[in-house]
Amino acid sequence: MISLYLAQRTWLHGVPAGWKLLALALLSLIAAPLDSLPVMAGLLAAVLLLYASLGKAALAQIALLRPLWPLFAILLAFHWWNGDVAAGLVVLARILAMVLLANAVTMTTRMDAMMDAVEPLLAPLAWFGGSPRAVALAVAMMIRFVPLLFALWEALNESWRARTGKRGGWRLLAPFCIQTLRLSHHTAEALAARGGAPRGTRR
Amino acid sequence: MPHAPLIRLENVTLSRGGRVVLDDISLDITERRVGLIGTNGSGKSSLVRLLNGLLSAEKGRVTVHGLDAKEQAGDLPRKVGFIFQNPDHQIIFPTVAEEIAFSLEQAGLPRREAAREAVPALARFQRVHWAERPVHALSEGEKQFLCIIAVLVMTPSVLILDEPFSSLDLPTRRRLETLVAGLEQQVILVAHELDAFARYERVIWLHEGQVRGDGPPAAIIPAYRAFAEGLT
Repeated sequence: MISLYLAQRTWLHGVPAGWKLLALALLSLIAAPLDSLPVMAGLLAAVLLLYASLGKAALAQIALLRPLWPLFAILLAFHWWNGDVAAGLVVLARILAMVLLANAVTMTTRMDAMMDAVEPLLAPLAWFGGSPRAVALAVAMMIRFVPLLFALWEALNESWRARTGKRGGWRLLAPFCIQTLRLSHHTAEALAARGGAPRGTRR
Repeated sequence: MPHAPLIRLENVTLSRGGRVVLDDISLDITERRVGLIGTNGSGKSSLVRLLNGLLSAEKGRVTVHGLDAKEQAGDLPRKVGFIFQNPDHQIIFPTVAEEIAFSLEQAGLPRREAAREAVPALARFQRVHWAERPVHALSEGEKQFLCIIAVLVMTPSVLILDEPFSSLDLPTRRRLETLVAGLEQQVILVAHELDAFARYERVIWLHEGQVRGDGPPAAIIPAYRAFAEGLT
């Protein structure tokens, strides 16, 4: 099943969340204006080396990029049509490197550590009556439910195929939404049973 | 304990979706192991939801270990632990330690302390090695066990289990039953697996929102079984 967090501890798990996020932000800033193909290819190669250093499970996560292939194809086709395939490759390498880097942070950082690092940035929410804790909870729940939603989609697809022999595709969207709402209803009830969403910023 | 382990329902009526699901029910529950049985739609799930404040009675009064379920609904989750049928609906966090820390925080610990205490809490259940595991990597039985641990660390005085065994294989179910049997909490179990109640002190049989049978399992379960067979 697809998950966003690597259970097996790697060296990157040991790096504090704040440093990882800072490095990610700096690298994004540096990479954005660069348009040299060798530099971008080098960056991408470095990111792939980083994944290799994290082990097999991390490398397997690269498969997560599969849904992005159509986007990449469109980007390349657009640049080819403009007569500048090299620029297209630069854009492609930059997106790949950045998505993979961001994913490397997600898959080696526990949610509470991530939120501890991000929460000070969310503090201004409190001035407008918002709760940084509520945002933190929402993000944690999103990470938790992504694999569950994938599994839900797969289950719907299976029932569809069991009766039609074909893939469900877009026809599963409506039942998927309904099931997702049911799931959120159950989860809200379970959250309420444990005292509801925490308020305030008690540390 | 300041209060006797008493759960009291006085003339409780509840409707959901325009249908009366509990019809003028009165019960005193002091036993430590209580089963709740009945066909689908008989009102079992609604009744247990009243005890944790998830639902509120329209008429009548519910008190749980000294707390009024309406007036003190906010205090109920700490006193009444609730385990649902599907652990995937219940687990909120991506890793086991975070899930436990959340419960500890709900029980009143400051956040950092809750995060620190999660591992010792897991140690009490011999599951320290789970701490860093992503929850989706656990088996169904392990997930249900995690849900139970997450509720127990809040040190409730009542544990409600609403059809917790439905998707578990027999060995896993037996393991969880043994775990539940050893708990000091008052336990209210809703289940369709009738053999689960063999050692329970009392079984309450609900039918169409009313109490149809109430007594020791040896008396109630055969009657319910005969009734259910008669429906087929």
